[in-house]
Amino acid sequence: MNTKPDLKAKNEPETILECRNVTKSVNTASNKTDEKSLTILKAIDMQVKSGESIAIIGASGSGKTTLLSLLAGLDLPSSGEIYLKGLALHQFDEEQRSKVRADHVGFIFQSFLLINSLTALENVMLPAELANDDNAKLKAMTMLEKVGLSDRVEHYPSQLSGGEQQRVAIARAFISNPDILFADEPTGNLDSKTGETITELLFQLNQQQGTTLVLVTHDTKLAVRCQKQLTMDAGEFIQPSGAALEQLTINSVKAG
Amino acid sequence: MPVWIKQSLRLFRHELKRGELTIICFAIILAVASVFSLSGFSAQIKSALINESSSFIASDRVLQSSRPVDTEFLNKAVQLQLDNAQVMLFSSMVFAGDEMQLASVKAISNGYPLRGELLINDRNSSAINAMHAPPVGSAWVHSSLLDKLAIKLGDSIELGATTFTVAGTINKEPDASFSVFTQGPRVFINLNDVEKTQIVQPGSRLTYRYLFAGSEQAIDEYEQWVKPQVNETQRWYDIKSQQTPLANALNRAEKYLSLASMLGIILAAVAVSVASRRYGQRHQPMVAVFKAMGANKSHIRKLYMLHWSSLSVFSIVIGLFLGFVLQSIGLMMMAGYLPQTSSASSLYPMLVAVSTGVICAFAFAIAPMKSLIATPVLTVIHGFSKLDSKKGIIANIPPFIAVFALLLIFSRDWMLSLALMAGGGVIIGILLLFGHLLVNAGRSAGSQAGQGFHLAMANLKRRGKQNNVQLVSFTIAIMLLLLMLVVRNDLIDEWQSQLPDNTPNQFLVNVNKSQVTEVEQFLSINQMQASDLYPIVRGRLTAINDEKLAKKASKEETDNSDQGRESIGRELNMTWHSELPKGNVVVSGHWFGAEDGLAQVSIESQIAERLNVKVGDELSFQIGSELIQLPVTSIREVDWQSMQPNFYMIFSDNVLADFPATYITSIHVPMDKKRAIQQFLAQYPTISVIDVEAMISQLRSVIGQVSLAIEFILVLVVIAGSLVLVAQVQASMEERERELAILRTLGASGRLLKSATVLEFVILGAIAGFLASVAMEIAVYVLQSKVFEMTPSLHLNYWLLGVVLGGAFVGGVGLLACWRLLNLSSLTLIRRTL
Repeated sequence: MNTKPDLKAKNEPETILECRNVTKSVNTASNKTDEKSLTILKAIDMQVKSGESIAIIGASGSGKTTLLSLLAGLDLPSSGEIYLKGLALHQFDEEQRSKVRADHVGFIFQSFLLINSLTALENVMLPAELANDDNAKLKAMTMLEKVGLSDRVEHYPSQLSGGEQQRVAIARAFISNPDILFADEPTGNLDSKTGETITELLFQLNQQQGTTLVLVTHDTKLAVRCQKQLTMDAGEFIQPSGAALEQLTINSVKAG
Repeated sequence: MPVWIKQSLRLFRHELKRGELTIICFAIILAVASVFSLSGFSAQIKSALINESSSFIASDRVLQSSRPVDTEFLNKAVQLQLDNAQVMLFSSMVFAGDEMQLASVKAISNGYPLRGELLINDRNSSAINAMHAPPVGSAWVHSSLLDKLAIKLGDSIELGATTFTVAGTINKEPDASFSVFTQGPRVFINLNDVEKTQIVQPGSRLTYRYLFAGSEQAIDEYEQWVKPQVNETQRWYDIKSQQTPLANALNRAEKYLSLASMLGIILAAVAVSVASRRYGQRHQPMVAVFKAMGANKSHIRKLYMLHWSSLSVFSIVIGLFLGFVLQSIGLMMMAGYLPQTSSASSLYPMLVAVSTGVICAFAFAIAPMKSLIATPVLTVIHGFSKLDSKKGIIANIPPFIAVFALLLIFSRDWMLSLALMAGGGVIIGILLLFGHLLVNAGRSAGSQAGQGFHLAMANLKRRGKQNNVQLVSFTIAIMLLLLMLVVRNDLIDEWQSQLPDNTPNQFLVNVNKSQVTEVEQFLSINQMQASDLYPIVRGRLTAINDEKLAKKASKEETDNSDQGRESIGRELNMTWHSELPKGNVVVSGHWFGAEDGLAQVSIESQIAERLNVKVGDELSFQIGSELIQLPVTSIREVDWQSMQPNFYMIFSDNVLADFPATYITSIHVPMDKKRAIQQFLAQYPTISVIDVEAMISQLRSVIGQVSLAIEFILVLVVIAGSLVLVAQVQASMEERERELAILRTLGASGRLLKSATVLEFVILGAIAGFLASVAMEIAVYVLQSKVFEMTPSLHLNYWLLGVVLGGAFVGGVGLLACWRLLNLSSLTLIRRTL
């Protein structure tokens, strides 16, 4: 994890994540002999450059979360190719994808998904430990300090507020210095004020660590903070990439 | 230290501290503690009872033979450090001046008795525990012999070619015969004096008994060695192989205790299975998060293996401790009643308990653990569902094998274990079906009822599958409790009816025909309960359907070259009677009709089986010098355990009337009439009295102890069963927690939720109680008829108990659990369930 100097060098952004003609359909038939399938994603193509931040927006049911789970290697596409750091995720089995996640990926979830029976500190240590990092504890303390929770390290998730829980989750996501961070509605369970704080924190850390960020959200304030926004509808991106670029510029100005 | 170990132990530590593992630990602790205390306690009681009752055979084991046995038998015993003593029994005339009396002589070696006490009254008339055989040249005699021979202590008697000084009277003989036909009063002499009497001649009727006692292990080892070598003129027995009421009581008590422990294992298994399912469900989110963070399967597998192992080991250790405490409390409470109880506890129950814990923990964890480890990582996005139970049958195989293995290890009885498993399987199948039907039926009935009831029924229906599992476990717990209660009550009732207050305590034998009327008059004037007076004629069975029986004048002449049918080998006491005696049941043929004046005989069923005699066979008897032949018209089952004169052969009235006979009866003599009967009998010196009072009171005391032990075991099982029920309600309550939280948030009133939840539990409990009653009835039928050899009976009054207690208990515990939850604020409730 510590030996990725080329990625952090931003002068020459490489493609970290690439999707080619990715589709996802699920069988909705009540019994297995029927062949009723529902297409959730239709021929998705996308590229994410290293260090980029991208927001995928769209209505509920448009397929954005499904796309996120494919990109992060949590699930496999029905067809098409996905490359993360040049690794062909679509050809990997569950174990290989675990390895990819452990080495390159960080997560932030809408419902925080902290482990209730571990303290804030131990929750944050988890990914670093899984990567066999001997300094897991020290790093976790530093991360918790960065998210402003140095006085809550020994607290259990149930003793923390929603915002605090999400801050712990952010600390957990960044501790192993991932190449790419996926966030699924990171502010979805929070009130707008707390949401803003979390957004601020997320981008601040993202900037500091030069992480690539892919997030799925309904929250336009969060979306505009990203360099690029992709809108999904009924399983496909609906804006041509040129328009998206234009939109991005407008939003950047607004946000600035 | 590898990361998985660190993480696993950390999780375990936190979860334990935060009470998240309480229920699963509780289930395993319960399993281990109840099995440990039940099996430990019952083993202790068993050995205490057997120790105590072994005094009835004066040792732990007896080798009886009609000839002296090879010295090798004794050498081996010495080698195994077993105590041993020898006894020789024979009948002989005893003379004192002009008087003589047939006596049954018991020549004993030093060391006799190895168990129990031989109490002798000496000249000072205080009873002393004889630690040795009578000194050479001395005899101890039954006090009746003093009267019959008109002698007193210190006088001499002649036995064969020697003279003995009467040094004491026998106050208590541990292994006194239960038979009322023993020949004459008892005389004890030293084994070393036998030769001098010159009584032992070729052809003499002698019985040699070799008594052994020692540690259970040594005895077992010896038994393994001896058994294959015992030939047909020898008999190897312990207290339980005797055909006595005591042996019977002991055997049944032992079976009850084993059954209790086996049911304890099943209860424990049920508890662990419920808890391990929950454990799997609770840890799903954690596994998904671990996977999302990139942990691979092997990491998760190792982590959870260690987690589950730590949890099991932790619980087993606590369970052992708790079991030890429970067992010690039990033994302490029983200490006053059970003599010779050693302190807790031997290794075996601990072994059984630990293996129960380990086997339950692992067998029941396999399926939930597999599903847990296979939790799809996508659940971090899509949310968590309950563990699916699609693999139902396959997932249930390891637990079933585990329970079977446990039962087998414990009972060492293939048939009993198979029967319990098969019975259990059938019962569970029926339960699932019935439960389904009942819940469905209840729902349509409920649609007209109040809101709470409606919600309760809707919930029951919706959670059909989970409820069915719960229903099965509730039912099993309630059924086992009912089962233990019913069998215990039936056993104790039967024992009490076997030895009621007016159990005959004296037998009058050798009553002459001319004395019969006077005896009858005396008994009726004094209102003493008595059996009928039975005439006794002695005779020998010589042929069956013209087939001569092997000539076995006595056991000593047993010769394998005899080709004839096996005979009884001794003279029989035969009687005639027009009515079927009390306690006898005709199992084949008909009892003598008053009208058919035919000469006929009724034969006892066991001997009929041994001699292969059927109704219609012709039997020939030699009585004195006469030979008579007559058909068998009925076969009777005889209750040998009743204190009544019992007979192998009963003839119709007209057959034996002309033969000289003496009469026998059994009577109950109350304390205040003892003097009266002594005075009455003083007029008839030929009538012998056999007093069995001491034997009966000893029997009563042993049975009293057995009953008490069974009572205590019942209490232990009830505690274990109740705890299982509590754990189950608690577990199913948590399944409802999230739902309660949502309903609560949506504004459902606490009262509605409480009444709906409680009703749901009451209904579940009542259905379980009903099903348990049906299942209990079937199980009790099988147990009574096959295991306890009792007459099966119906127990409808317990059905009501099952339903009411089931509903009340499950509902009550549900209410408590629900109360606690609903007193939390909605917010806390929701947070808890996230």
